[in-house]
Amino acid sequence: MAVQYGSRLKRAVTFHIPLTVMVVATLFPFYWMVITSVRPDVELYNVKMNPFFTLHPTLTHFYYLFELTMFPRWAWNTLFIATVSTGISLFCGLLAGYALARLQFRWAPSLGTVIFITYLVPPTLLFIPLGDVVKTFGIGDTPWAVILTYPTFLIPFCTWLLMGYFKTIPREIEDCARIDGASRFQAMVRITFPLAVPGILSAGIFAFTLSWNEFLYALVFLASPQQKTIPIGVFTELVRGDVFYWGPLMAGALLGSIPVALVYSMFVEHYVTALTGAVKG
Amino acid sequence: MADQRIEPILAESVARGATAIPAPVVVVAVPKLGRPRRFGQLLEREHILAAVLLAPTLVILTLFIAYPFVLGIWLAVSDKVVGRPGNFVGLHNFWVNLNDSIFLRAFQNTFVYTFIATILKLVLGMGAALLLNQHFRFKRIVRASMLLPWIVPTVLSTLAWQWMFDATFSVFNWMLMNVGIISQRILWLGDGTLAMGCLITVNVWRGMPFFAITLLAGLQTVNPDLHEAAEIDGANAWQRFWRVTLPLIKPIMLVVVLFSMIATFADFQLIYVLTRGGPYSSTHVFGTYAYEIAMRAAKLGQGASISLTLFPFLLMVIVFQLWYIRRSD
Amino acid sequence: MNRRAFLGAAGAATAAAVVGGIPGIVAAQKAPSFPKGTRLNILEWVSFVPASDVEFKRLAAEFGKLAGVEVTVDLINMNDLNPRIASAIETKAGPDIIMMISNWPHLYADGLADVDDVAEEIAKRDGAYYEHNKMVSVVNGAWKAVPLCSVPSTWAYREDWFKEAGAAKFPETWDEWRKVGVALKKKGQPMGQAFGHSLGDPNNWAYSITWGFGGTEIDKSGKVAINSKETVEAVKFTVAAWKDCLDEGGLAWDDSSNNRAYLAGTISATINGASIYFVAKRQFPDIAKVTAHGQMPKGPGGRFYNIGGQGRADMKYSKNQQVAKEFLRWFMDRPQYDKWMAANDGYTVGPTPYWEKHPLWEKDPKLVPFKEAVKFGRWPGYPGVPNRKSSEALVKYILVDMYAQAIKGMKAEDAVKWAEAELKKAYA
Repeated sequence: MAVQYGSRLKRAVTFHIPLTVMVVATLFPFYWMVITSVRPDVELYNVKMNPFFTLHPTLTHFYYLFELTMFPRWAWNTLFIATVSTGISLFCGLLAGYALARLQFRWAPSLGTVIFITYLVPPTLLFIPLGDVVKTFGIGDTPWAVILTYPTFLIPFCTWLLMGYFKTIPREIEDCARIDGASRFQAMVRITFPLAVPGILSAGIFAFTLSWNEFLYALVFLASPQQKTIPIGVFTELVRGDVFYWGPLMAGALLGSIPVALVYSMFVEHYVTALTGAVKG
Repeated sequence: MADQRIEPILAESVARGATAIPAPVVVVAVPKLGRPRRFGQLLEREHILAAVLLAPTLVILTLFIAYPFVLGIWLAVSDKVVGRPGNFVGLHNFWVNLNDSIFLRAFQNTFVYTFIATILKLVLGMGAALLLNQHFRFKRIVRASMLLPWIVPTVLSTLAWQWMFDATFSVFNWMLMNVGIISQRILWLGDGTLAMGCLITVNVWRGMPFFAITLLAGLQTVNPDLHEAAEIDGANAWQRFWRVTLPLIKPIMLVVVLFSMIATFADFQLIYVLTRGGPYSSTHVFGTYAYEIAMRAAKLGQGASISLTLFPFLLMVIVFQLWYIRRSD
Repeated sequence: MNRRAFLGAAGAATAAAVVGGIPGIVAAQKAPSFPKGTRLNILEWVSFVPASDVEFKRLAAEFGKLAGVEVTVDLINMNDLNPRIASAIETKAGPDIIMMISNWPHLYADGLADVDDVAEEIAKRDGAYYEHNKMVSVVNGAWKAVPLCSVPSTWAYREDWFKEAGAAKFPETWDEWRKVGVALKKKGQPMGQAFGHSLGDPNNWAYSITWGFGGTEIDKSGKVAINSKETVEAVKFTVAAWKDCLDEGGLAWDDSSNNRAYLAGTISATINGASIYFVAKRQFPDIAKVTAHGQMPKGPGGRFYNIGGQGRADMKYSKNQQVAKEFLRWFMDRPQYDKWMAANDGYTVGPTPYWEKHPLWEKDPKLVPFKEAVKFGRWPGYPGVPNRKSSEALVKYILVDMYAQAIKGMKAEDAVKWAEAELKKAYA
């Protein structure tokens, strides 16, 4: 896979330096966030101080986050919401992707297009009318309000990804199974779906991240502090009027990303190889 | 018996360059069930199975997008304000928008923001993918950590950037001043053009990992034999990239660009948190302006019309891209 | 319970409350007035003063116990209240009481219930409301919100630096202000002002100085009147002040930037609520010691502040109108309000002159200017009503951008003309 280069200098210039630059540029803000979250307030407001390290690290901001806000609850909410909406989107995307990739029926191309068009509708337009729908179903201020609305922007991408992935799985495998007496449905579930697990993984990771990250719907549909998600909770309760509680804010940002980052680090290799499949579609 | 049929097919797929399917493949010996039951028989027919499979998706999308979207269109052609029923006013809202200098600025900004950010994400993402495609010692960690900007909740990472660009506390100013490159601090978010630059920077920082990882996957499907062949034929690295790699990953490139462009067009959070459309309304985009009008002036109809204006342009961009893909297929 | 009996009981309750405190209410009511299981949900902003949030939640719980009602309180960031309110009004479901900031009662009038009885009762008891509180809460003759408080701004300034620059006290007029400012900026201690897109501090300059020089957005008949000699003067003054006296980061500043800059010691003065002083007292006592508060300088047109005030509205869709009104009435009653105001420690000012006598003003004399500032309050859209159109002007930051563009280089007359065109569209 890797392409070899000639001399060492060339390698340094064309590889090591760009790589280092890229890693530094990407991770620099995180370094800054980490430092800010352990810096005492006095230092935060000092213009002259070196912003890159502190001699008096403190955990008060994390303490504040855990004791004085409902951060653990928000973390749980966000996890629950992200997991269930991902599940729903994967379920729908899996079925829809299969149908659009494998089955011949009259409406196939147009439905595929319609599903992608829905992705174009911006949430800033939708959220007021959606409020009505949410209220009609009586799910306002419950996690279900967002669990059912997040799939609207998750399903199109999952569908596309899995569609592409299905197209790489040779038809013959299913045909074989069907010749052996399996129904179309069984062939789909028993043969094709398992082969698509890497694709499901990658779609799932994408969906999980987007749900974890979402702001507008969560702001409008989740009202009480117990129901909030991390982005909403941290942002709305640590910004009081014209005072930003920077330490706890950055602490919240870090703690709000670590779980997802851990999940990623476990799956990233799969994610990469899985997307390969979709690519060929 | 079933195993014997599947093995050679799998082998063939692997030879053709498909991903090696992970070891514990579920190769199920399909039990003989005899004649499928009646429901099962129905599902044999492609139309029915398709309908059943697509049903959950269509239900969710109809309920939570199609219906509100239609309501949204109604809002855009009405004079609705919060609390009052609206009256149909035809295209009046759109006419007002055309005469609104802030709207026109937002229009321009949205396109500039989207196009520049997307191009940068593509180029940098491609570069990153090429780098990550190599073997090096900390490959796994680096790949995983590269995704961090995309993982952190946008609201919070943007706040961090806001502090980094802060007129008084900017860490960039601190660095540049200490190194001696500048003597006066740079007011990053205080100038219209500079602020747009900052917005694009944050957007690229946040979105590039997604491009990088996805393009990396694309790169890994390119058969190294092709590269060797080209090298033997005398092509240098750049030519190899341009002539061999690029055409092969064009499909995934285009799709990633598509999805990213759509999201960037409608972007709201990033600009809202970083500049709120300032300074002097020079960084408003459709999303933020629509929000301000609809939420703070309570003019739902007008706000909807601003949001809706996105739609036809987005559609045009998508159609163009799809036509372009089909053309080169 | 018929309406008359209810009002009678409530009236007696209020009178009793003034005399007998809380037990008065309970005694006056012959039976629990509210069906079991009634819930009251209140939506407020997250207060800058955490102690006041704690106190408010405590008071809410106390009311709940007294009235036999389950009370829940939701607190979110001021800026994020709007989408929540819009959604609540549109879907006709949500909190029963929502805080109104500035002229929101006008904006959301159709979704708010009339609260004339409660509001007028309080005025009768405590004295007439400050004009700005009244103007923002009365829509077409009906009270749509019960005024709660104001969060006035003043000039927070470094006494020590001002003294060194030759000003023993905060300048009285804009010309004096400019002189001091020039001296201060020369020493590297400029004053600071936000001209970015946030609703608080930038508007506190834009509107105040326009009025101070005699300009207004509209005239008494509702016609756009911004394009006047007075406004041009104000703009010219601002541009000059920008160069000579102000920190040039201001174009990017939002509501929190000046706080940070002041506490970092990079600016010598800025318009702000009491939040700077409070944070200083807690974390930067050396700065707090040398910080004092001055009133807005006087211009040819007078001395004014842009104060919207805050209120509480009873939502029309609420099924608990009675409970809601009882709560508002009870909360604004002296024993309760007194406690809440004390918890705010000078950050808020009462809606009526009665609260100018509160003992907390004697605790820290540095906070007294806030109490005084409220008397010079005006509202966006002055001298007209702070209606929807003035909201649109606010939301589009027309006045703020007028100054910002002039600072950026636009000729003062052109900036004013631009503002005139934009205001005409908003007031169309």
